[in-house]
Amino acid sequence: MSAAIGTSVARARDPLLLTGRGRYVADLDLPGQAWARVVRSPVAHATLRGVATEAALAIPGVLAVLTAADVPDVRIPIRLPFATTPEGLSVLQPVLARDVVRYVGEPAALVLAEDPWTAEDAAELVELDLDVLETAGDPVEAASSSTLVHERLGSNVVNTIPVRFGDVEAAFAAADVVVARRLELPRQTGAPLETRGLVAEPTDGGVTIHGAAKVKHFNRGVLAELLDLPPERVRLVEVDVGGGFGVRGELYPEDVLVPFAALRLGRPVKWVEDRAEHLVATNHARGQVHELEVAATADGRLLGLRGTAWVDQGAYIRTQGILPAILPGHHLPGPYVWEAFDLTAHAVLTHRTPVGTYRGPGMTEASFVRERLLDVLAAELDLDPVELRRRNLIPAERMPFVYDLGSESPPIAYESGDFAGGFEVLLESVGYDSARGEQARRRAAGEHVGLGLAATVEMGAIGPFEDAAVTMSDAGRAVVRVGVASLGQGVETVLAQIAADELGIEPDAVEVRHHDTDDVASGFGSFASRTTVVAGNAVALACRALVKRAREQGVVLAEVGEVTARFEKPHPSFSFGATFSLVSLDPETGRVVPERHVVLHDIGRAINPALVEGQLAGGAVQGVAGALLEELPYDETGQPLAVSLADYRLPTVLDAPPVEVVLVEHPVPGNPLGIKGAGEAGIVGAPAAVANAVADALPPGAEEPLALPLTPQRVHALARPAR
Amino acid sequence: MSRWHHPGDLFEVELVLNGEPATLETHVRATLADAVRAAGLTGTHLGCEHGVCGACTVLLDGDPARACLVLAAQASGRRVDTVEGLGTPDALHPAQQALLEARGLQCGFCTPGFAVLSAWLHDREPEADEERIREVLSSSLCRCTGYGPIVAAAMQR
Amino acid sequence: MKAPPFAYARAESLDDALALLAEAGDEAKLLAGGQSLVPLLAYRVLRPTHLVDIDALTSLETHERTPEGLRLGALVRHEQLATMSVKGAERVLAEAAGHVGHLPIRTRGTIGGSLAHADPAAELPVALLALGATLHVRSTAATRDLGVEELLLGPYTTSLAADEAIVGVTVPEAACERRGAFAEFAVRSGDFALAAVAVVATVDGNEKRDVRIALGGVDATAIRASSAEALLERAELTDDAIAEASTAAATDCDPASDAGTSAPYRRALVARLVRDALTRIREEWA
Repeated sequence: MSAAIGTSVARARDPLLLTGRGRYVADLDLPGQAWARVVRSPVAHATLRGVATEAALAIPGVLAVLTAADVPDVRIPIRLPFATTPEGLSVLQPVLARDVVRYVGEPAALVLAEDPWTAEDAAELVELDLDVLETAGDPVEAASSSTLVHERLGSNVVNTIPVRFGDVEAAFAAADVVVARRLELPRQTGAPLETRGLVAEPTDGGVTIHGAAKVKHFNRGVLAELLDLPPERVRLVEVDVGGGFGVRGELYPEDVLVPFAALRLGRPVKWVEDRAEHLVATNHARGQVHELEVAATADGRLLGLRGTAWVDQGAYIRTQGILPAILPGHHLPGPYVWEAFDLTAHAVLTHRTPVGTYRGPGMTEASFVRERLLDVLAAELDLDPVELRRRNLIPAERMPFVYDLGSESPPIAYESGDFAGGFEVLLESVGYDSARGEQARRRAAGEHVGLGLAATVEMGAIGPFEDAAVTMSDAGRAVVRVGVASLGQGVETVLAQIAADELGIEPDAVEVRHHDTDDVASGFGSFASRTTVVAGNAVALACRALVKRAREQGVVLAEVGEVTARFEKPHPSFSFGATFSLVSLDPETGRVVPERHVVLHDIGRAINPALVEGQLAGGAVQGVAGALLEELPYDETGQPLAVSLADYRLPTVLDAPPVEVVLVEHPVPGNPLGIKGAGEAGIVGAPAAVANAVADALPPGAEEPLALPLTPQRVHALARPAR
Repeated sequence: MSRWHHPGDLFEVELVLNGEPATLETHVRATLADAVRAAGLTGTHLGCEHGVCGACTVLLDGDPARACLVLAAQASGRRVDTVEGLGTPDALHPAQQALLEARGLQCGFCTPGFAVLSAWLHDREPEADEERIREVLSSSLCRCTGYGPIVAAAMQR
Repeated sequence: MKAPPFAYARAESLDDALALLAEAGDEAKLLAGGQSLVPLLAYRVLRPTHLVDIDALTSLETHERTPEGLRLGALVRHEQLATMSVKGAERVLAEAAGHVGHLPIRTRGTIGGSLAHADPAAELPVALLALGATLHVRSTAATRDLGVEELLLGPYTTSLAADEAIVGVTVPEAACERRGAFAEFAVRSGDFALAAVAVVATVDGNEKRDVRIALGGVDATAIRASSAEALLERAELTDDAIAEASTAAATDCDPASDAGTSAPYRRALVARLVRDALTRIREEWA
């Protein structure tokens, strides 16, 4: 085994990116290209009586204005079979609104012009004839409201998803203590620094689309169908991608409109989303309300967990189906031993931007809700929060640990790991006892300092499989082709390390190709922390098969030709994580300063430790901002209030605590490389730990933090009773 | 002859761009970011176009400025330095080298802005302390790294 | 987010700028550093017919000490002001300038631009109001001087005529002998302030204090906290006096409640910031 695996190999593209020589989709210009600009609904709910385009068309340089009548009457499909329901299928989004608009930002027309200034001028002159209607906003209210987002559904609740184990009535009946709370998370979004964009060019009998990401092969198949083209004539090409975080790459209306327009015009069409559009057009996430109760014995043994969640899915079900409402329930039990749980989640429609997945979807929310409630329980029992967790974390000897959810749902199956042990490793890495001592000293000096913890599990490494193809050249260089995607995380480097390790060459002798659907026939893409695990193992298997075949045929590697292998992953993996947060706050102004943040993650085995740490630290800071800064609020008429980056507060250097990353490695069985994913782990426990730290820091008599974000105004209000 | 330039007109901006005299063929509504990008210098990125994210940071007469908030016309007769002028992949500016070694980038979209800021700190404020470094770097947003390695890179003197 | 259409001219001198402004009519705007104006163009909330670019008029970027006081040209940049060598209560202005946005904004934004934009939460108007600064305004026809309170009429609204430009600001000479402190609260460093406070005081034994307290972000414009000032007129800066004045200042303003920030919270911030500023003045004087 070479030194490739486990070393922090540098990324080959970094010098290019550092010197501004990256090539993102907005950097791409094709000869003869036209520019597209989406006309978006300015109101949250209205009957769309018509679209007047004459004034727009009169501007010199405007080539066309497309409305629903001009485009196929198709719907954005759901990508995930297990998140597809008949109800969800009845509320899919058309590529341009017809007859009704259901959220501010919904595409209603597409302007095509010679340059982006003209396109935007013309878009302003497109007149939407709207009869404004009532809106359904808050998901709890919307769930029982008669103001329907989709009349034909008869309700705003798309589906109700149960996650049940054991006899929860008995568990609660046997309890010494029951603690119940209502907890809320706001809408938030991934907000990568690069907004979305596409350049589509008509080709001989087809179309090439530059700017694809995340799930290229699925999107290609769908586009072929929606554009009525043979799939092999639809080519999706990834260029450099400025971050994804789950929200980039899913199929959106623009992904259909832009190539359609290119085919219609017979010219390349370029579209770059601006930031104001991004905040209303790209998937939102996280918005949900939980009413949760926990039952326990007097000595802190968890018995039962019961609750209802209202998950805001926005105005349409898009490519991820009802996944946002499936995931929380599966993550609420977490790394703990429960006698029983009964969790219900409602997927609720509202007249707001549709909802998809943002890094750590469902698991971040569930961790916040559960870990806050556990701290509330600990206080009720007069038990140290550490001790409460110690008494209930699943111990190593009980692995693999399975919650059988009956016929309704696949089980929650923790295949490996040491949850209780991992928690201890975190405490030791933190120096928890001495942190408590330091807190006491600072409190004595009048400071408000709090420590918060979270123990979490995170579903990742979703299958069903990936294929990898490997070829070795005479010059000792390898070419690996896989159907995954780069969002900027270092995919090529890690897969190159794996191949290099198997083939006995250096990582820089491996070229990883994943960018072009013409070059790689199939793939499931990059999401759910799956790339290194599923594609990485496929690469390893393909390399092993190549080596084996060379040995069997008695030839050198370069003479074998291309070898393909598939790695099947029928079930997702769950990883353990734990987070520690230390904050100080000023109860008078409400300002919270996150001073220290430690995140522990069971990575299985780290292929490239520096890249893993980068993922965890980046995710952690996103999570801290999710706890303290970020929200996408609406007014009562469904108007979004965060329309710029001055409103949607992304963290700066001064808002980010230093993040310490602690990796533990418990190799995963049934996985040749023994690895787990890492893309989302940093964020999952962050809001939970920070909120618990804020609760710990607030003066006695203050109200409990139960809603995010904990902005200065909110913390000031929580502290009021204590003043 | 009218003093006014109109949106449809070609507007030429003569300036010193990355150390060389240059002429940008642009128009009055274009920002400096739009104009340098149209001239092929696409390293200056548009992340927000309203002056918050810093992905478009350049040096204007030697000082950091947001190119999306400068009209191209305003750069006339001035010195503009973009990320492309700092270094090349084979000859990185020390600040870029430090970012490389510290792994201060992931997706790379914010990176040119941080490279320009870090290079400015390195060249113009070599004595800057951690507080000043963090204050200056807080001008730009990064969504991927969490900032640790970016600050660490700038602290290398 | 591309700007809407406008005609553009670059001024070659101040007189030229004023002539262009007069020629362009009521919907024209001056463009200097662009840090406030260009984002409004990007969001198309402002649609000027003409832009008169004065950014290159370096003669307006200078400052000098005159018998009247510290005279700043309208194009003095925030970063210049933040790092300028100042005396006495002038520090309030330098501190305020240091709080404007981030470095790349401060290298471009100007004092004249900040005043003309009249954002109720802007730092410089607050500091200038506390200092009792005089603003110098010109058009092709006339020159006039006015105080900050005469300039600021409401949110983003000034008493400037369409053909007028702020050409300079004078901070009174008396400020050199006074003390000052500036404080603001923003969610993130560099954000717009939720509340800002500037205090300028003559601290001279038991004589009249002549305390001027200006508040920003908590009313339609920057305003004076008059009842707080009155309380301190003859009082020593004791803890109780400071506390009373802080509470009074919170009632002197009428903050808007918007979706994110409530009026009561802004008042609480005012009280805290006034307390901090007065305490700092007392400590530094002692």
